[in-house]
Amino acid sequence: MREDNILTVDDLSVSYGKFNAVQNVSFSVRRGEIFGLLGPNGAGKTSTLSAVEGLLKPQGGTILVDGNDAVAKPLHARASLGVQLQSTSFQTELYVIEVLRLYAGIYGVPMRKADLLGILREINLEDQAMKKFGELSGGQQQRVSLVIATIHNPKLVLLDEPTTGLDPQSRRQLWERIEAIRDKGHAVLITTHSMEEAESVCDRIAIIDHGRVIAIDTPQAMVDKHCNDPEVIAVSRRGRVTLEDVFIALTGKAVRG
Amino acid sequence: METSIPKTSTVLKTLLRADFTTQWRNRRATILTLVVPVIILATWKVMIPHTGGPFVLSNSIVIGLIAIGLMGYSNSIARDRDKGIFQRLRVAPISAWSIMASRLTVQIAMILAVTTAVFIVGNSYDKVSLSPAGYLVTYFTAVVGGVLYLSLGQMIVGRIKNPETVNATVRLVYFLFIMGGMMGQFVDSPEVKQIVQWSPYGTVRTILAFGMEPSKWNNNASIALLVTLGYAVVCAVLGIKWFKWNTK
Ligand SMILES: Nc1ncnc2c1ncn2[C@@H]1O[C@H](COP(=O)(O)OP(=O)(O)OP(=O)(O)O)[C@@H](O)[C@H]1O
Ligand SMILES: [Mg+2]
Repeated sequence: MREDNILTVDDLSVSYGKFNAVQNVSFSVRRGEIFGLLGPNGAGKTSTLSAVEGLLKPQGGTILVDGNDAVAKPLHARASLGVQLQSTSFQTELYVIEVLRLYAGIYGVPMRKADLLGILREINLEDQAMKKFGELSGGQQQRVSLVIATIHNPKLVLLDEPTTGLDPQSRRQLWERIEAIRDKGHAVLITTHSMEEAESVCDRIAIIDHGRVIAIDTPQAMVDKHCNDPEVIAVSRRGRVTLEDVFIALTGKAVRG
Repeated sequence: METSIPKTSTVLKTLLRADFTTQWRNRRATILTLVVPVIILATWKVMIPHTGGPFVLSNSIVIGLIAIGLMGYSNSIARDRDKGIFQRLRVAPISAWSIMASRLTVQIAMILAVTTAVFIVGNSYDKVSLSPAGYLVTYFTAVVGGVLYLSLGQMIVGRIKNPETVNATVRLVYFLFIMGGMMGQFVDSPEVKQIVQWSPYGTVRTILAFGMEPSKWNNNASIALLVTLGYAVVCAVLGIKWFKWNTK
């Protein structure tokens, strides 16, 4: 029996000491869907993803990844996940191709040199194969990190602000890659601060603030639902209501600390 | 379709390959761990007629083992943790112990390499040669001693997160071992000698020296071995208990 949801997060709470970063968050990601997690800085997006990845132990709630409980069966849950972390690095002394070989191996899909070079060719980094990872530019490192997230053809890909630092070409290429994942029937959970990105690639989005989900819907439905709210109209510019206007109206104008 | 977890053997093989490559790329730093042991072999040669070869060789190996556990292991763990390298590995479907097992295997290989280097220089320059059993037992005692300093290194990265602070601390501890442990042996005071003998420096040196002449292995050596294991277990338990995979 196959569930429609590849990821189910139910009543999730995460805290750091006494501070509750995520409170009673529930949402689910369906197979064949790109799901966006939006929220201001410090809203709890990365903390939510960390709990799904098993890096943090939740204070409460349950997380099912492809039917596997992320706490009780972490290895099974993680085997279905491809991950790109918001802040991370690979062994800086290893060559790019060696980093790729390492991750192919630990995800159980060992690859030969020709396969690895093929993957680098896809992201136009074949020439950099023998460079040390630490010698790549920030955007190039990001591209390597993203290609590693999908190296084992995972059922669910978690991307934490993947397009930060990418040039427009790479960003478009990433969107296409994400859509290709969806078209295979797999799913993507992506966080972003770009409302343009959310509108153009996400099938559904959740807005999260102060550790709580405040809205879940398709981007269009969210705009339609709130376009006549006075708060939304007040922040809209040039007479057109965008997802960004709705986002700002829902989460408030104040810049987060 | 049931998701399958990668085979442990594939995971370990892949991790080992990456960790050995990293160690190889850092070979300059690795060679530095040999500097003090070689200096001991070179300058203490004159003492061999009085102290015997094993005394000099064992001091040389101890200093090498301390450098591996503290400077090599602690620093690399602290640095990689700070960069988030462990966090990325940990979201893969592999167990935490496999990440550490691979790291430690590289260090055990380093222990064997340093011991071999001391054997070679000790043989060619200091003209100290051991029986086959002596070499064999010394490799074993070197691993036991090396594990103690690795555990100590683990304890330091368990307590301290900032890689610069870890680096400063391990240098200080290394210096203390040289001044207190190594030099302490030459202080003309029975109390100091006693303390040094049962310190984490002295017990390892004792088991190394007796390992080089297994026929002379006595009760004292057995107690030193037990004390070494005791130190190692205490440090390892605390080091693992305190250890956090991230610095945030
Ligand atoms: N390791 C930590 N220790 C203590 N507090 C933390 C830790 N990590 C995150 N926090 C706090 O938890 C809250 C949520 O952080 P989180 O990283 O999940 O936010 P985010 O939504 O990903 O933000 P951003 O858009 O800036 O990436 C913040 O208030 C943050 O200060
Ligand atoms: Mg974040």
